[in-house]
Amino acid sequence: MSAPAFGATDQVATPPVGPAPMVAEIRQGRWGDIWRAISRNRKAVAGMILLLVFVVLSIFPGQIAPDDPTAEIYLPGLGPSWHHLLGTTAQGQDVFSQLIWGTRLSLVIALAVGALATVLSVLVGVSAAYLGGVADGILSLLTDVILVLPIFPLIIVIAAYRQNSGLFTLIVVLGALGWSYGARQLRSQTLSLRTRDFLEAARVRGERKSYVILFEILPTMTSLIVATFLGSALYAVLTAAGLQFVGLGDPNSQSWGTMLYWAQNGEALFAGMPLWAIAPGVCIALLGASFALLNYAFDEISSPALRVRKLERARLPGRASEPPPAVGEVAEETVLRVEDLSVAYATDAGPVIAVDHVDFEVGRGEFLAIVGESGCGKSTLLYAIARLLGSPLPGEIVGGRVLFQGRDLVLMDDSQLRRVRWRDLSVVMQSAMNALNPVLTIAEQMRDACKAHSDMSKSEIEARSREVLRLVSIDPVHLHSYPHQLSGGMRQRAMIAMALLFTPDLVIMDEPTSALDVVAQRSLMMQIKQLQEKLGFAVVFVTHDMSLVRHFSDRLLVMYAGKVVELSETRRLFERPLHPYSRGLLDAFPSIHGPKVRLTGIPGAPPNLAKPPAGCRFAPRCPQATARCVSTEIPLYVVDGASVRCILHEGAA
Amino acid sequence: MRFVVRRLGFFLVTLWAAVTLNFLIPRLMPGNPALALMSRYRGRINPAALKAIEIAFGVNNHQSVLSSYFQYLGNVARGRFGISLTFFPDPVLRNVLQALPWTLALVGVTTILAFLLGTLIGLLAAWRRGGMLDSLLPPIFVITSAFPYFWLAMLSIWLFAIKFHWLPQSSGYDIKDNVAWTWHFVGDAFRHSILPALTILVTSIGGWILTMRNNTITVLAEDYVRMARAKGLSPWRVMWTYAGRNAILPNLTGFAMSLGFVVSGAILVEFVFNYPGVGWMFLQAVENQDYALMQALFLMIVLAVLTAILAADAATAVLDPRTRDIR
Repeated sequence: MSAPAFGATDQVATPPVGPAPMVAEIRQGRWGDIWRAISRNRKAVAGMILLLVFVVLSIFPGQIAPDDPTAEIYLPGLGPSWHHLLGTTAQGQDVFSQLIWGTRLSLVIALAVGALATVLSVLVGVSAAYLGGVADGILSLLTDVILVLPIFPLIIVIAAYRQNSGLFTLIVVLGALGWSYGARQLRSQTLSLRTRDFLEAARVRGERKSYVILFEILPTMTSLIVATFLGSALYAVLTAAGLQFVGLGDPNSQSWGTMLYWAQNGEALFAGMPLWAIAPGVCIALLGASFALLNYAFDEISSPALRVRKLERARLPGRASEPPPAVGEVAEETVLRVEDLSVAYATDAGPVIAVDHVDFEVGRGEFLAIVGESGCGKSTLLYAIARLLGSPLPGEIVGGRVLFQGRDLVLMDDSQLRRVRWRDLSVVMQSAMNALNPVLTIAEQMRDACKAHSDMSKSEIEARSREVLRLVSIDPVHLHSYPHQLSGGMRQRAMIAMALLFTPDLVIMDEPTSALDVVAQRSLMMQIKQLQEKLGFAVVFVTHDMSLVRHFSDRLLVMYAGKVVELSETRRLFERPLHPYSRGLLDAFPSIHGPKVRLTGIPGAPPNLAKPPAGCRFAPRCPQATARCVSTEIPLYVVDGASVRCILHEGAA
Repeated sequence: MRFVVRRLGFFLVTLWAAVTLNFLIPRLMPGNPALALMSRYRGRINPAALKAIEIAFGVNNHQSVLSSYFQYLGNVARGRFGISLTFFPDPVLRNVLQALPWTLALVGVTTILAFLLGTLIGLLAAWRRGGMLDSLLPPIFVITSAFPYFWLAMLSIWLFAIKFHWLPQSSGYDIKDNVAWTWHFVGDAFRHSILPALTILVTSIGGWILTMRNNTITVLAEDYVRMARAKGLSPWRVMWTYAGRNAILPNLTGFAMSLGFVVSGAILVEFVFNYPGVGWMFLQAVENQDYALMQALFLMIVLAVLTAILAADAATAVLDPRTRDIR
């Protein structure tokens, strides 16, 4: 096995599962984008409005409140009226005015503690992660200790010795003790960033550490920093109110917590002045809720997975009106027939078609490879066939048929699908590390599948599990191991073994070798081929690495930007690629035989599927493109039994 | 094994930090609050107890700080926290041990209940994304988790005890009763615990729901969940063993972290309900300037939190084979 055959894999990074390149997500650290995302989020808007109201109240209490909050000028214990919206206190003060004047202190404490705790957590968290070594050890220990020390009792202890805690002490103590949770999260986030390329680049450029931290690391963590601020502000509001309530604040200050302290002392609830006690609590809860809502919304904004997007079918281009063609005769030797299959993803900018009217067939025992660059829709196509798209994974089949053993999988409901799954159709995924459940042993995961589809006894299951492990040359002693106890190659084999439990008709494989080194890749491919010949199952194999399947696949399907551009016998495609894109892919690999040629690769990048170019999608990168390529939709032409979507072959068809 | 040793080490370091804070804080405060107190009690308590208080608060200036620190550590290690001024002449430890069962029963049970219930609701909400449960409960609990515990406690007293007379408004039991293991007493104590328990439950459950929901959503996007569906497993099996089992792991770590918050809330709930537990006694000690009792209770709270964290660690080790092997 010569290594150069894999030289081209560097060019195409391991494709992420799902529509990563197409979805217009917020890039972290861009304030404009974050602002736009906030204004679209209902929870965020509600939180903002609440907070804004409190900010206004705290700036202009004198203009808004009808009375001096301390003036004891009314009858005590009045009920609510137009003069006293919330009644009066036992001392004859206006509750409503006290409430408005109390906003300022609560807000100041919240914002000041939030700011202090955030600065501290950034300082500690980021430096711990970035400095590493002993510094990290000490800072992490400090963080963990402060994290588990119950802060509220500690503050009470401090306040008890001071007799009462002034505003400044309160803010400093709350800030100095409230940073640990944020620091811990920021540390782990920084750790995950440390090895990223852009930081490596900065290091190679010789930037100072302080520069790297300030301008390279921090901007990527905007959302986490905001969350830290909101979290500690919320905690400060509640803790300060609690302290004031038990009488450890300044009893003469104007704050909601102090109001509750007086209300409790004045037995407001028993003496028929419930609003005196209820109203300040509502305010604390509302201010707290505004922080909590913003925090929750920010969580959703910064991790898009938490949001639900609905696919707007109405916005799909010209789909609804097309009448579905009748199901043709499916030949006995055809295991899988994909007809006119389209898959769309919902994005904030509307639906994006990731798989566009794809047709192909797989015969019994055939090995079909689907190749293309990252983001061309090949994995999406694969999961659409296996009916594994949909909530919680993005993507929906919006048209077409997947005829498996003559029956349309697209029309099946979950329980019908379950009967087909694994017995007749199994799946092998890209990384077994992620595809095997980390908390169950291999045996348990095999038993799961056996129990779901058969009434095998415990010993039969055990025997069958050992048998399939031996098939993929794993010693059955590993059966009762957890996934993390196996090597990468073994995990991958174990997953293949699992897929063969019922010797299905079709095994769908999504780059099953890409997580392995070159030698292990090769031997795994040989093994898959041998098993296939021995057991007779058909394989649909997705890869971005054409050379990997050269000697194993019967036919090759080349995808580009969601469309099939060429479908041909493997050998023929390697010898005489019809589509310029296929040729480009081939030219990206060095040939083992033949004359020495310069490796060119394909300049440019695949198009954005949200706005695919008109006509041939490859035209912008194609060396042979003409004006006609972009003016008309190109159909698939059949040339000597191969299909190709290129205008150059118009005449040959 | 190394994992266990490391966690125990961390446990000891934190405990040591708490004891040291207890020792340092009164010394760092401007003026010496204990000094004033001491002069008030001189002659009224026996010399040995006075000596213990002197060491604890650094009143005796003849001793170096370091030697009194070690003496203090020694006293704490032997459970000698001195004499309580509130419950004079009882030693502090006896009072603390009397209050402890009440808090364990109320706060301990409620916290575990809130964790289990919240985790379950979070899992179900995430499993049926956008369904009834999901669109109703998480937003509601975002708001209730911002409620001050003590305020909700006041409100529930007003509503259920004063307005409707359904439940007793304060204390842990009817003071006319004898504290004994009789059915009558236990039932009475249970009735007294309903309102405080509900208060803690309502305010603390939101956090568990939200984190579990978010964890589950993240886990549902994992390959192994897709794989479980590809295997044609029943939705029930996928939800519990594939999604839930993995999503609960970070929640267990979160359990340890959020515990401090629950504890602080519980202190105030006990205070509002005059519930005879550690939290109520703690605030009594603060009010009476009974520093020895206060210090002992603070350590007790730290110890309780640490024990709960160890329990969460143990649960993680049981549920996650990776923590058993690595390290």
